[in-house]
Amino acid sequence: MEKRQFQRLMFAIVLIAIGWGIPGCGGGNGVDVSVSSTEGDATTSDADAESAPGTSTPAKQRGTIGYSAMDMGNPFFQIIADNLTRDAAAAGFELIVENAGGDVKAQAEHLDGFIDKQVTAIVLNPCDRLSAGPSIKRANQQGIPVFTCDTQCVAEGIEIAGHVGTDNEGGGELAGQAMVEVLGEQGGKVFIVDYPSANSCVLRVKGFRAVIDAHNKDRQEGRIEIVGQQDGGGEPNLGFSVTTAAIQANPDLAGLFAINDPSGLGAYTALEQAGKTEQVTIVSFDGHKEGRQAIKDGKFYADPIQFPDKMAIQTIENILKYLKGDEFEKVTLLPTALYRKVDADRDPELE
Amino acid sequence: MKKLLQSPFVSNYGMIFVLLLLCAYFSLATIDQQNPVTPQAARKIVAFIAAQPTVKNVLVVVPRGVEDRRFAEAVRQGIEQGPHKVVGVVVGDPAMTRVEFVRLGAAGTTVDFVVTQYAAAKWDLLLPAGRQKLQQEYPSLGAIDVVKPNSYTWPTFLTPQHLLTVANQTALTGIVAIGMTMVIITAGIDLSVGSLIALSGVVVATLVGRMAGESDPTLVSLILCGMVAVSVCALLGAGSGLLATWFEVPAFIVTLGVMQIARGLAHKVAGGSKPVRVDSEMFHELSAGNAILGIPNPVIVMLLLYLAAHVLMSRTTLGRYLYAVGGNPEAARLSGVPVKVVVVFAYAMCGALAGLGGVLDASLFRTARASGAMGYELQIIAAVVVGGTSLAGGQGKVLGTLIGALILGVISDGMRLTDVAYDTQLIVFGSVIVVAVLVDKLKSRDWRMLRG
Amino acid sequence: MNAGDVATPASDAARSSAPLLRMTNVSKSFPGVHALQGVDLELHRGEVLALLGENGAGKSTLIKILGGAQSPDAGEIMIEGQPQSIANPLDAQRAGIGIIYQEFNLVPHLSARENIFLGQEGGGLRWLPVNAERQRARTLLDRIGVPLDVDARCGALTIAQQQVVEIAKALLTEARIIVMDEPSATLTLQEVDRLFAVIRELKSQGIGVIYISHRLDEIFEIADRVMVMRDGQHIDTRTIAESTREKMIELMVGRTLENEFPKQPAEIGSPRLRVQGLCRGRDVQDVSFEVRSGEIVGLTGLVGAGRTETARLIFGADRLERGTIELDGVPLRLRHPRDAIAAGICLLTEDRKAQGLVLGQTVRENFGLPNLARFSRLGFLNQRAENRSLDGYIKSLQIKVTGPEQRVGTLSGGNQQKVVLAKWLERNADVIIFDEPTRGIDVGAKFEIYLLMNRLAAAGKAILMISSELPEVIGMSDRILVMHEGRITGDVSDVNHTSQEVIMRMAVGSSKAGT
Repeated sequence: MEKRQFQRLMFAIVLIAIGWGIPGCGGGNGVDVSVSSTEGDATTSDADAESAPGTSTPAKQRGTIGYSAMDMGNPFFQIIADNLTRDAAAAGFELIVENAGGDVKAQAEHLDGFIDKQVTAIVLNPCDRLSAGPSIKRANQQGIPVFTCDTQCVAEGIEIAGHVGTDNEGGGELAGQAMVEVLGEQGGKVFIVDYPSANSCVLRVKGFRAVIDAHNKDRQEGRIEIVGQQDGGGEPNLGFSVTTAAIQANPDLAGLFAINDPSGLGAYTALEQAGKTEQVTIVSFDGHKEGRQAIKDGKFYADPIQFPDKMAIQTIENILKYLKGDEFEKVTLLPTALYRKVDADRDPELE
Repeated sequence: MKKLLQSPFVSNYGMIFVLLLLCAYFSLATIDQQNPVTPQAARKIVAFIAAQPTVKNVLVVVPRGVEDRRFAEAVRQGIEQGPHKVVGVVVGDPAMTRVEFVRLGAAGTTVDFVVTQYAAAKWDLLLPAGRQKLQQEYPSLGAIDVVKPNSYTWPTFLTPQHLLTVANQTALTGIVAIGMTMVIITAGIDLSVGSLIALSGVVVATLVGRMAGESDPTLVSLILCGMVAVSVCALLGAGSGLLATWFEVPAFIVTLGVMQIARGLAHKVAGGSKPVRVDSEMFHELSAGNAILGIPNPVIVMLLLYLAAHVLMSRTTLGRYLYAVGGNPEAARLSGVPVKVVVVFAYAMCGALAGLGGVLDASLFRTARASGAMGYELQIIAAVVVGGTSLAGGQGKVLGTLIGALILGVISDGMRLTDVAYDTQLIVFGSVIVVAVLVDKLKSRDWRMLRG
Repeated sequence: MNAGDVATPASDAARSSAPLLRMTNVSKSFPGVHALQGVDLELHRGEVLALLGENGAGKSTLIKILGGAQSPDAGEIMIEGQPQSIANPLDAQRAGIGIIYQEFNLVPHLSARENIFLGQEGGGLRWLPVNAERQRARTLLDRIGVPLDVDARCGALTIAQQQVVEIAKALLTEARIIVMDEPSATLTLQEVDRLFAVIRELKSQGIGVIYISHRLDEIFEIADRVMVMRDGQHIDTRTIAESTREKMIELMVGRTLENEFPKQPAEIGSPRLRVQGLCRGRDVQDVSFEVRSGEIVGLTGLVGAGRTETARLIFGADRLERGTIELDGVPLRLRHPRDAIAAGICLLTEDRKAQGLVLGQTVRENFGLPNLARFSRLGFLNQRAENRSLDGYIKSLQIKVTGPEQRVGTLSGGNQQKVVLAKWLERNADVIIFDEPTRGIDVGAKFEIYLLMNRLAAAGKAILMISSELPEVIGMSDRILVMHEGRITGDVSDVNHTSQEVIMRMAVGSSKAGT
């Protein structure tokens, strides 16, 4: 048995060696030079006349763009993916969509795959604001431009060709204003369901807190008191759990700010179970369809809405400008708009 | 058919054969244009320019990649040795190239050739239409011809760079799967490894951050930090083993508990779910470096560990004891085997390797997250099962686990290369695991479909 | 004991000329083995047919074919003249065949009643007629002649009682043929007597019984005819009246064994193992004895008398509550079998499969398990040394294996026992405890094990032999200890002038005797 195992090992080693050798040979023979003149007809110039012309890229197929979504479980990223696919195709690019499901290792693997496929450009929503750094650096080392969208990557020593995101801090301020609008003069206790892994959400909370602090300044009566802030994971289940605990701890809770719609809906379910939907006002964030529907149904008071479609469209525009060598904004932050029940009633997409 | 399946060749080499088939399949499915940006390609380009009868002006344009930069430099040096002239070198993006053209056009310089590579050749500026437009704006540029290394056709999967990528992606699962194999061979299971990976990552990241302070930490302090993280996980693993043997609590439940405990500890250490940053270049080098033959360090570590584990399992008393304990604990005990010690060793080893995995993970991403490595335990168990280790204990091979991990790695990578949709990927993965368990069962029944 | 009355087929069988069961020319091969070659078998109504043969003779395969657990390559099965096709266990059940395997098919957590009716409840979701079931179960048990609490959990029943449940289960499906595979192997003597009463009851109801056993005494007591198999072939079938012990052994092993128990007295020296006041719960109460070098001490008693428990204490497998164990005058502290092994004590367990061997591992791996210290340096194994040593034992013990890499689980019982022997002989221990060393082993292998005990005794070892088979205990021991309910109730040193009856009286605790 021992001998066989040893043979097995040798077998594997030989295989790896073979895998090594073959591409080397292939590469050596294939290297050639191709010349493309202004008229666009390609001519092969070297001795080896049989080899195919090198620049014969069809005009329609200009290359591929790789997109690694943060989590397709969230409709926000589905909208980005759909818009990217459409606009990329219109520009003659094929778009490869990968779903990281929130896992940084999966996202790193996606980027490695894109690099090996020699894509023209990479678009990603970093799973968190740091971990994507080393993968982006590898893409940089291969000369592939990386465009981020939604979450910004703040790792050091990397080069981002362009970023399109939401003005999250501004959006957070809008959310704060909405909260002040409701709680107004009488004030009350407010709970925040956050998601500190995503920088965008950290900024939303920052903007929200700034408005609340401004409201409380020089005020004795009607203060809005932030009683807690817990990680809702940006998803319904954890949003539900932290909200359930928050209501138990603060039975007189008056308001709740959720940093995105999925966790906001989880929070709503928790309020429903506690029978406190009347007492607690939810201000959420995102404004994709389920969130807007919740506003129409009176579950949420308002959402600063983001525009994932615009984000995707802007990203493809940036890629095209980059390839043309045109100037474009390296960082674009799209402003949000506050969306209330009046807007929802007019929204044709909702039931 | 049955004879073939029962033959020793198939039962010993079957899994390698499956791995090879998968590689062959994905090689065929990923045949694509390969674009060399090698020194060899640079020499060809230089030879081509040198062969021009009249003196030519050459502009070199490449993106900012590492190989591209080398390529551009080689081309420049090569051309300058001859009569031809390099009027400019652009290592950058299309915008910089436009600036360069504008400069040359304004200076009235002629550009006969633009030497570039596959990616830059697709920039609008260098496409025929773009060049015509340039020429119209700056007639002095003349008719610009683009010269680039020819592409050749070869499977993307079967390039050394890609194979290394696959091996590197398998390393984390592969390393932890060694420990899991030992645990499963003792007829146990360890569900806590995913959480332990996260815990170890967070511990090492926090320690490196603390110890380093402002200055870059030394190698010794890095090793110490890593050892602390690994020991913490080994201790938790040993704890699982102790509970599972001394109190005869089912390992499934014990490790389910430890899984939550470790996750909680990770959040405590990290102070929440915020990512913990590691700002040490040397620490990053542990995972990102490729000191030996260009093979990534994690792959080297994985291979060395497999070699050591193979020797341990097949050539040492401890290995023999692990198998015996899994096969029949009572017979082992009555033969004088210290059963409890052996089982605790397996769990401690599994914990330690999960800890090592966490350290490598934190080093690779320069960050650690308390919520990271979620659900990895199942991937790791899947690798062990696909590798032919029986969940009933007592049987299995460490090298089989390596093959199992590689099979899963190749499938996931291959599906990504061939643009298989995420939902389909999940279905394929699930099916692979179910088939692996079925094959194991059928093998133990000598390939009889019906019992009896 | 009026077995003679029913030595001929019962009267109602005579009505039909066709026998109850006829298997003709049954053959079956496995890769590399002809398990059965053209075997014929005939069973009449109200008859007990004993099936005799060494392990590997093909008895089990024949029974499995009859029970539908395996399909024959060739051959025919007829019941009352009607050809039957039995492809699975359900077919066998429908044809009126009930098989009681050595390992019972009972669910320990269900009651006797639930087990009897298991699988007979009818399909679909329906209300269980519990009272009717209970009634029917009682009737069946009465028919067998063994009243039993039908609501008792099967796991709580004795082995003998579980066997009765199995028989009732077979009767429920109107079985006319009942096969019992080694039914007496784990029963005490009284339980065996009761089993025989049950079998006679079944006979009187016209049921044909195929009885498989190694114990010749039992066969003479219960069987009407005996069929001997060897190497997958039918050797001979004859009535009990025409048979003698010696003849049957000769037919089974294919050669003449001069003496069933080849005891050779060895020179008995000073005490080696001395235990005093051993206590553990109710199982072992104040047990003291000593075993001298060159001596074979037989330890017998009924199942549950505390024999195995005593052995486990001496081996460090269970924790000693009180008492001392001395080896060559040196007191031992045993916390783990490791300690006992290191001191020079070894135990060949009663249940080889559950306790003695790692069935999934190879012969070499099992052999090496307690001896790795000898075959390794700094934790690294020296497999060459291991193989060399094992080869020696394979030759000297005549272990039939394809090689050291064969899986132990695929060996026959006798060869498995020899592997266990080899692994302990390599330890070269001073005290060797054999717990039921010949259980489930065929005559030829038994004989070899007896010879080996002689050799060990001659080499000055102290041997403690636990056995339920009184002829073996009397035939092989220098001294006999009898246990009853955790205590030693008999110490017989004059082995040549004792009898099974004397020992049995001690075993049931009715007389404290010693000579």
